[in-house]
Amino acid sequence: MADRARTPQVVLQTRKLKKHFGGVQAVCGVDLSVPDGDLRAVIGPNGAGKTTLFNLITRDIPHDSGQIHFQGEEISALSPHAVCRRGIGRTFQITSIFRRLTTLENVQTALLTHHRRHYNLFAPASRLYRDAALALLERVGLSEQALKPSGVLAHGDQRRLELAIALAGDPRLLMLDEPTAGMAPRERHEIMELVARIGADTGLTIVFTEHDMDVVFAVAAHITVLHQGWVIAEGRPQEVRANQEVQRIYLGQQVARSR
Amino acid sequence: MTPVAWRWLVALLIVLLLLPLVIPAFFVLLLIEIAILALFATAFNLLMGFGGMVSFGHAAYFALGAYTAALLVKKAGVAMLLALAAAPLVAAAGALFFGVFIVRLTATYFAMLSLACGQIVFTIIFKWTSLTGGDNGLLNVWPPPLLKAPAAYYYFTLAVVGLSILALHAIVQSPFGYALKAVRENPRRARFIGVNVRRHQLIAFVLSGFFSGLAGGLFAFFNGSVFPDFAYFNKSFEPLVVVLLGGMQSFFGPLAGALGFKVLETFIARQWPIYWPLFLGIVVIAVVVLLPRGFVGLLEARTWRIGPARRK
Amino acid sequence: MEFLAGLFPWITNGPLILVQVMSGLSVGMFLFLVSVGMSLIFGVTRIVNLAHGSFYMVGAYLMVTLIEGLPEHPLRFWGALLLAPLGVAVLGGLIEVALLRRIYGRDPLMQLIVTFGLILIIGTLVLIVWGPDNKSVPRPEALAGSVRILGQPFPSYYLLVLGLAPLVAVCLWLIFYRTRWGMLIRAATVDREMLGALGVDVSRLYTEVFMFASWLAGLGGALAAPTVAVALGMDGDVLITAFVVVVIGGLGSFAGSFISALLVGELQSFGILIIPAISIVLLFALMAVVLVVRPWGLLGRPEE
Repeated sequence: MADRARTPQVVLQTRKLKKHFGGVQAVCGVDLSVPDGDLRAVIGPNGAGKTTLFNLITRDIPHDSGQIHFQGEEISALSPHAVCRRGIGRTFQITSIFRRLTTLENVQTALLTHHRRHYNLFAPASRLYRDAALALLERVGLSEQALKPSGVLAHGDQRRLELAIALAGDPRLLMLDEPTAGMAPRERHEIMELVARIGADTGLTIVFTEHDMDVVFAVAAHITVLHQGWVIAEGRPQEVRANQEVQRIYLGQQVARSR
Repeated sequence: MTPVAWRWLVALLIVLLLLPLVIPAFFVLLLIEIAILALFATAFNLLMGFGGMVSFGHAAYFALGAYTAALLVKKAGVAMLLALAAAPLVAAAGALFFGVFIVRLTATYFAMLSLACGQIVFTIIFKWTSLTGGDNGLLNVWPPPLLKAPAAYYYFTLAVVGLSILALHAIVQSPFGYALKAVRENPRRARFIGVNVRRHQLIAFVLSGFFSGLAGGLFAFFNGSVFPDFAYFNKSFEPLVVVLLGGMQSFFGPLAGALGFKVLETFIARQWPIYWPLFLGIVVIAVVVLLPRGFVGLLEARTWRIGPARRK
Repeated sequence: MEFLAGLFPWITNGPLILVQVMSGLSVGMFLFLVSVGMSLIFGVTRIVNLAHGSFYMVGAYLMVTLIEGLPEHPLRFWGALLLAPLGVAVLGGLIEVALLRRIYGRDPLMQLIVTFGLILIIGTLVLIVWGPDNKSVPRPEALAGSVRILGQPFPSYYLLVLGLAPLVAVCLWLIFYRTRWGMLIRAATVDREMLGALGVDVSRLYTEVFMFASWLAGLGGALAAPTVAVALGMDGDVLITAFVVVVIGGLGSFAGSFISALLVGELQSFGILIIPAISIVLLFALMAVVLVVRPWGLLGRPEE
């Protein structure tokens, strides 16, 4: 890990990425560069293009023009499951888990797919990767809930599960779309601290979107600010906070209040 | 599956093995039909209950299996067992062919087009008179003398259906099955754990077609003849009704549903054959409108309510 | 060219081709009436009415009964043509009110299963009422013969259909785009909740739309009755062909249904000349090609 800090490679890079819907230009030419091991927050008001940007990078939707490089490889022509196999994991804005499977089964399924065992027709899957799945659940604090149908879990726990599912793929880059949405403030900090800890322990590169500025400034190593599809500022939290443009457009009253 | 469930299954198996010794031939024949329908419905449910894909033209694969078996025996003089082995292969090929086109579609289009594919198979069978005999069908498709007696064919069917259902059960509990259920629950999420969703669904479709074709082959030799309406949409409705009656989410639901269906059919269709589709339509609509999870689902709901209370 | 002429001897026969094109348009007309209704129901209520072919069939059978029952009169045919679709509309209304209202908002597959069940129910009722034998409907005196078009014989009855086609299409267009009711329908296909919030009785609109679509299917069946054998199994045949039309044109698209109905009608007309027994295979091929390129039809919208 120390080595990586000395020679940071760029794990994710986009160049002039563009996407429009109907008449609206959602992403206007975004250049993004995320070094290895970074904990990057992407912020911006609603409609700034954060989720669209995520969807473009993970190939959930096709882009209009521009390039996406992951670990040096151009990925903008790949399908979503291929991108996942290259090492990008993600969570979604609206909790996206396998509701009628148990918590444990959710993670087991992710694990056995990652290990390409998912075409196996005859082995009993309930025994496969059980320990590894339990370890992941332990990591995110869900060991107690392992045997419950995931659909009955509390909202916050479902989001933890989604994190575990994304981690099961042993990703190099983790993209979390509003990981704390719908949570109470204390839980928000808990989860983002968990995310930060996981990032520090495993050297994972993490990019996340977030609305709660307290959480962002507490956890993020770098911040990228989007506004109407453009990157208007980028840098360490203090730099971004001090940026006039950002203050004007986004932080506005919060900064004024904190003075 | 729980030890209790296993014990019930073994008990059931013993009963089934001993039955032909005590009941009249008519009921043995009925049991054979129930077993074949149970296989067809379980194969169908692999796709519907576990894969989340509802095919409205599944009779096509049943018919492909039946006609393959019949044609091989009648026109090529192939031995019955070989013909029966070929039946699911041809059905699977048909499922692969149609599947490539329709698996990519969203649920509504998939349903409509699977119905269309079923009708295409029907039309081809119906019109290709030189090969299939058209409306007259193919007659005198009998198993070899060893298996001709009701009890003999019964044990044979029980063996084939039993093994097939075990195989399907294994598939559902396998890594493939887990990923399939994941695709059913949330295709987008499945994609992002690395599942090639379309390919997975296609494989499930082909597997479902395979076992449907096997059921068709078994039925050909049971019935002694095959007809084009094995592929007509009325026939496609049968596994759907069975699964609805038995409950989609449970693996063994279709078995119970098949039993209920055949019992109903025996009483109603034989007395008033004209009214049978009417009855079927009404029952299905009633089940959908009034009981969203089938009768077995109703049972499941009840036990679930008792369960948590007991745990205290 | 000679090779082609060997395979398809009719290819250099201009007048024959013209006549085939015209009869293809007529067939397309019947398909259009059924498909536009199905598309309309889907657009407004989001239900694919699998029983739409059954409405077509009921329209044809009602024609049989009306012609047999009404007193002999030069206008008898036209009277029957007027009444038969109305009968189907009433049937549609009953079904909508008694049954479909309970399943709006349910899982689309459950809705499909219900309408699939309707096929069985209506089919059996038709069998009970009219019996298993094929029936036929005689053409009206004035249109019973054939005319010569460039030397080729062409049934006069089809001229009626060809004449009605633009009339019906224009009327439908006027209804959808120039009346308040049509505007409500178009609004409903885009955003039902909004419409309800604006105070429109959406429930009644659904019933009206369903009855109108049933009326259209019944009209299709009634018009087609003198040209085909009125038999059980009509529902299945027209349903599948209507599927192809609707899938190619795009569910919920009026223009899509029109264009693709004519296209499919032509394909069926010429398909009979190329591969007599299985023109359905041609249809399937066309549908497969369209779906590979545009999985929601030529003019349809992607499903959410």
